[in-house]
Amino acid sequence: MDFQLSDDHRMLQDSLRGVLARHSGDGLAPALAELGIPEALLTEAEGGFDGSGAAVALIFEELGRAGAPSTPVAAMIGAAALAQAGHDAAVLAFADAEPGTRHDRGVAMRAEGECLTGRKTMVIGAEGAQGFLVTTADALWRVDRDAEGVEFRPYPLMDDQPGGDLILCDAPATRLGALSGHDGVLARAVLAHAAYGLGVITAAFDLTLDYLRQRKQFGQPLIAFQALAHRMADLAVEVEQARSAVVNLSGHLDAEPALRDRHLQACKVTVGRAARLLAEESVQLHGGIGMTEEYALGGIIRRLIAADTAMGDADYHLERFALAEPAFA
Amino acid sequence: MDMSFTPEETAFRDEIRAFLKAELDPALARKVRLHHDLTKAEMEGWHAKLQSRGWLAGNWPKEFGGAGWTAIQRHIFEEESARAHAPRIVPFGIAMLGPVLQKFGSKEQQDHWLPRILNGDDWWCQGYSEPGAGSDLAGLRCEARRDGDHYVVNGQKTWTTLGQHANMIFCLVRTSTEGKKQEGISFLLIDMETPGVTVRPIVLLDGAAEVNEVWFDNVRVPAANLVGTENEGWTYAKYLLTHERTNIAGVGFATAALDNLKRVARAQIHRGKPLSEDPAFAADMASVEIELMAMSTTNLRMLSAAAQGQAPGIESSMLKIKGTQIRQRLDALTRRAYGGQAMALPQGGNEGPEDADEALAATATWLNNRKLSIYGGSNEIQRSIIAGAMAKG
Repeated sequence: MDFQLSDDHRMLQDSLRGVLARHSGDGLAPALAELGIPEALLTEAEGGFDGSGAAVALIFEELGRAGAPSTPVAAMIGAAALAQAGHDAAVLAFADAEPGTRHDRGVAMRAEGECLTGRKTMVIGAEGAQGFLVTTADALWRVDRDAEGVEFRPYPLMDDQPGGDLILCDAPATRLGALSGHDGVLARAVLAHAAYGLGVITAAFDLTLDYLRQRKQFGQPLIAFQALAHRMADLAVEVEQARSAVVNLSGHLDAEPALRDRHLQACKVTVGRAARLLAEESVQLHGGIGMTEEYALGGIIRRLIAADTAMGDADYHLERFALAEPAFA
Repeated sequence: MDMSFTPEETAFRDEIRAFLKAELDPALARKVRLHHDLTKAEMEGWHAKLQSRGWLAGNWPKEFGGAGWTAIQRHIFEEESARAHAPRIVPFGIAMLGPVLQKFGSKEQQDHWLPRILNGDDWWCQGYSEPGAGSDLAGLRCEARRDGDHYVVNGQKTWTTLGQHANMIFCLVRTSTEGKKQEGISFLLIDMETPGVTVRPIVLLDGAAEVNEVWFDNVRVPAANLVGTENEGWTYAKYLLTHERTNIAGVGFATAALDNLKRVARAQIHRGKPLSEDPAFAADMASVEIELMAMSTTNLRMLSAAAQGQAPGIESSMLKIKGTQIRQRLDALTRRAYGGQAMALPQGGNEGPEDADEALAATATWLNNRKLSIYGGSNEIQRSIIAGAMAKG
């Protein structure tokens, strides 16, 4: 048993940290592309560069920790699904959430024959995308941006990324296959989201601890006050739990589906709950400064909540775990 | 990253399983599962079986008659033993005193006491806590005054687990009131048969009497029973506590409790269906199982880091907090699963009405395991340790 990073993964981590320290904003995507990060969700056989759970976890944790947008995650899901379905590579925005339902699929979006009608919401990564990867109750579809009956209404998302609603009216679509047939790709995508969430969790924890060590009240640093110190200790324990949950999923990514799905659901529950806890506690522990848009915590909080929400939140996956349902069916 | 056990570790696990299957009496395992008090003979019998296999002292080096297991091997043994409901190895001699004597005891002390721990000649108990010194252990007052080649001990110890069975007690005693309160403490081995030693049981919430008060009234202890140097006992006490905190996560106990909870929830009827199919109860069970899955890996990550030479820091405090939270949540769910059937209490920690045995065990276990977040340094103390380390950075 060895939980250390391999030498290759340590080098990957080092170069990734370097890129993330040097680039942000518009410059980040090309720099990541140079490292081959956009193919991170693909296995080597599919044209990716590693594809192991450990590599996916490490890449996305670093992105989350550095405050990079989660758009690459969303885009990579599309690329991976296309590759698995044997289609040519294309940039697709992942359209999963639907209005009128917490996490059900196929409520506001329906398929008739080879056409889709309905609405998807909170679609990430549509800017510059050639089309959309759309989920229905039990299948994955590809819809081209320029196809008949496709409308996209953009708006900003809470974590400052461009998003929008996708409205389809009898739009022609290509069925890539059953959701259950793409469960491997989707499991990788969940791992990516969870590891990204872990990175954001770590950032929130580090920023809060730093603040408690520096900020003085009544002549003492805040960490010296037991009421705050104990809450910080509890957060430290939950951060370790979240890390272990990500380790469990990355180590079981290629396990038989039932076992993999248990770890997938457990991971999303553990990381989602830790993200919510950190979001609430880190503001409280900071006090008033934590409420301001100017301070770095604001963006972190919104990314924390987004990390829980993407691809089914903690409540959704807890229920499926409890009822021993597959993650994608 | 490799999350799998090595072939050697897997073979080791199989060996432990086969041993437990062959050697553990099902009636004894049932008593352990139902949290009934074990007799001294039952505990000694299990020790003897393990000793004859060479497995009693997994944490001791081979030169002292131990098994010399790695941290991972000890983890595997603890997990399998707990899941099979084997009696827990009484920790005071094996897990606590043994390592202290091996590191700080004289050659004579090692040669005399260590074999007697392994062969069962001595039953040790721990004299640390006092009524005025709990979490603030260094505030202890029980005094030992040097008188020729003896110490004369006066004072009181409390929470002495299984002291009613013990013939020996290792004590922290005050030998000086000068300087800082940690500096005047010594580590003394006391024969419980000495005149002036009185043991009184303390009955706990669950009706069991597993802990005691121990009184010392002018008890004369040979000076040869001092471990290490006078007034240096605090160093040895801290060393002992790091050993007490091995297996602190209790993954095996939690796994056994989860298995039991699932079995109970499948058997109990709620609204005409198994309780395990009730969405609210199923979600509660799932939530604690998910916590256990992560904690189990946190435990292995930390064991693995320790095996690679990374010094354990605040990890044991983290595992103490999360491990006890999980076990207390599991105990609470199991008790609640029985609802109205769990109202009585078995007398003296032993059998209740026969057909209600399992429900009553759930209540007794819940009551007894409130201790988990209190003993061995309360969870508040553990939080302060974690926060203290974080404050330093």
